[in-house]
Amino acid sequence: MNDRSSDLKGVRLDSQEDAGRHVVRTRGISKAFGAIEALVDLDLDIPKGCVYGIIGPNGSGKTTTIRILNGLLRASSGQAWLLGEAVPVSESIHRIGYMPQEMAIYSDLTAVENLELFAGMYSMRRERFEERADYLLDMIDLKDRGGSLVSELSGGMKHRLSLACALVHDPELVFLDEPTVGVDPELRNGFWEHFSRLKAEGKTIVLTTHYMDEAVRCDMVGMMRLGRMIAEDTPEELMASTGALNLEEAFLQRSRRVEQ
Amino acid sequence: MNARRVLAIALKTLRSLRHDKRTAGFLVFMPLFMIAIFGYTFGGEIENVDVVVVNLDVGSANGSVADMIIGDLASRVTLRLTALSSPDEAVEAVRLTDAWAAIYFGPEFTEQVEEGIAVSALGLFAVPSVVELHLDASNPNIAQTVVTELQASIQVVLVEHYDMNPPVAVVEDRVYGEGAEFIDFFAPGVMGLAAMMVTFMLSIISFVRERSTGTLDRLLTTPVTEGEIVGGYAMAFGIVALIQSTVILVAAMLLFKVTVEGSALLALLTIFLLGVGSQGLGFLLSSIAKNEFQAVQFIPLILFPSILLAGVFWPLEAVPDILRPVSNFIPLTYAVDGCRSIMVRGWGAGDVWPQLAVLAGFAAATLMLSAYSLKKRG
Ligand SMILES: Nc1ncnc2c1ncn2[C@@H]1O[C@H](COP(=O)(O)OP(=O)(O)O)[C@@H](O)[C@H]1O
Ligand SMILES: [Mg+2]
Repeated sequence: MNDRSSDLKGVRLDSQEDAGRHVVRTRGISKAFGAIEALVDLDLDIPKGCVYGIIGPNGSGKTTTIRILNGLLRASSGQAWLLGEAVPVSESIHRIGYMPQEMAIYSDLTAVENLELFAGMYSMRRERFEERADYLLDMIDLKDRGGSLVSELSGGMKHRLSLACALVHDPELVFLDEPTVGVDPELRNGFWEHFSRLKAEGKTIVLTTHYMDEAVRCDMVGMMRLGRMIAEDTPEELMASTGALNLEEAFLQRSRRVEQ
Repeated sequence: MNARRVLAIALKTLRSLRHDKRTAGFLVFMPLFMIAIFGYTFGGEIENVDVVVVNLDVGSANGSVADMIIGDLASRVTLRLTALSSPDEAVEAVRLTDAWAAIYFGPEFTEQVEEGIAVSALGLFAVPSVVELHLDASNPNIAQTVVTELQASIQVVLVEHYDMNPPVAVVEDRVYGEGAEFIDFFAPGVMGLAAMMVTFMLSIISFVRERSTGTLDRLLTTPVTEGEIVGGYAMAFGIVALIQSTVILVAAMLLFKVTVEGSALLALLTIFLLGVGSQGLGFLLSSIAKNEFQAVQFIPLILFPSILLAGVFWPLEAVPDILRPVSNFIPLTYAVDGCRSIMVRGWGAGDVWPQLAVLAGFAAATLMLSAYSLKKRG
């Protein structure tokens, strides 16, 4: 952590304890693409072990947020920290996983070769990788398709493999950008079981979605609209405070309130 | 630089080539195909050119000079001669494209030749005797061959039957290239061209795909560095270039009896450097291309000048002066020149180091710029 980052907007971020508690923290990050304000003044504090859902319609800035946190985009202003380290992280990079919104796996490699490539990037040992690959292929129900070329797998299978690639090095913090888009409901349930298991292991998950029914299963939900965070709370609180019966309605009410 | 990550990237690149059966086959068979096609077409001499001959020469006591010339022409396979009886018929045959040329000897041909020789012997000016040659010169190569053949036969007949030895003889000493044929000149060019084409095309397409599918971004969120990604790709495509040039070299040696005067390993090293540099160039251009379609447009832009101006088919001396600086700017020029010097002249590393240095510089520059282009983020 550098000096500039430790005192921003009057928030002191000095103690290791604090950094350990909030694995994701941002202060005033904004991003403009020319005239488009993709992200405006975002503050996030995501505690360890939390499943945090960023929800919002297409173009609301979810992917931009995730890409800034992963160091793929530079914020126009503001600062972010992951696991206590200023973004872009270097030390902590081993402890973070990322599943991009596009599938982002190699279609001309087999499923196992994809896993092996990403394991190699994290310098995993051979035996550890084999153990891990077994576990993950089992988890994504692709055990007997490990040797198949990705181009021969179905859309859902590719999706699951992409998730496994993000988890191959057993990260403490994972960013999943729309992990369940185009995934059938049964499979989506399976994904959520994995997320619960990860949470139980003390991992932190930050995911984006535009399925409101899915957001209900998160510990915390941040609602985004036009690059701004318009509400953030537990799903229960969000519904209770707006008197809405479901999150969708809560989102619409919040949106309306912002417009006024 | 973490060597294991570089190896992991190289391994994945080679694996994806291996899984793509058609591409893998292309990588091996394309160079074979190239050397075979080019070798058989360019390496072959011109033969069996159809020529009609009208010989009305009545000869002298010593026989007919026209007969002797025709006899000499017929002793070689370059021209396929057909005798006709009238000059008009012969010219018509050329016009109808049944023959590339018509040769016509008049009735007094021998008489005129012998008279000319006698007159010259007295130190007087002699009117030359005439052979008419009607040519279809729409193909300059063939026309030139016919003219050369005819002149050669006339020369042979004059020397052998009339002791007309020319006053000047050229003494030839081949400093380099003793016994070298066109294919020997050609094989190093094909090696360089194939390696450059394939590594450039593969890398520009692979990287556009890495970018458009998001895998590059994903890699960049792992501990792997930009330099390691570039290094891994360079290693993989360098190996591809090596395999290809080995295939070409072996094929050229077996099919066309090409001999390698110098070190084959040094020749392969030259091609390896070219391959690494060309893949770097592909990598760089892929950052400008937005999709695979745009990337494909770069391919002719890079390939055409290289094919035409790098001395693969024609010597650099055939490149017009205004384009010569372009030749000097094309890496393939140095690879072909270096490889040729090694394979035909038998030069060693001590002689071709300037070419090797240029290629190493090209490779280093493109790789460093590629790594830098990956670092730039929005
Ligand atoms: N590279 C880019 N160049 C220009 N505009 C972009 C770029 N990336 C995203 N945007 C714009 O930023 C806004 C937010 O996009 P994004 O973060 O992808 O939204 P979401 O993931 O919520 O659908 C959109 O208006 C989008 O068009
Ligand atoms: Mg998105």
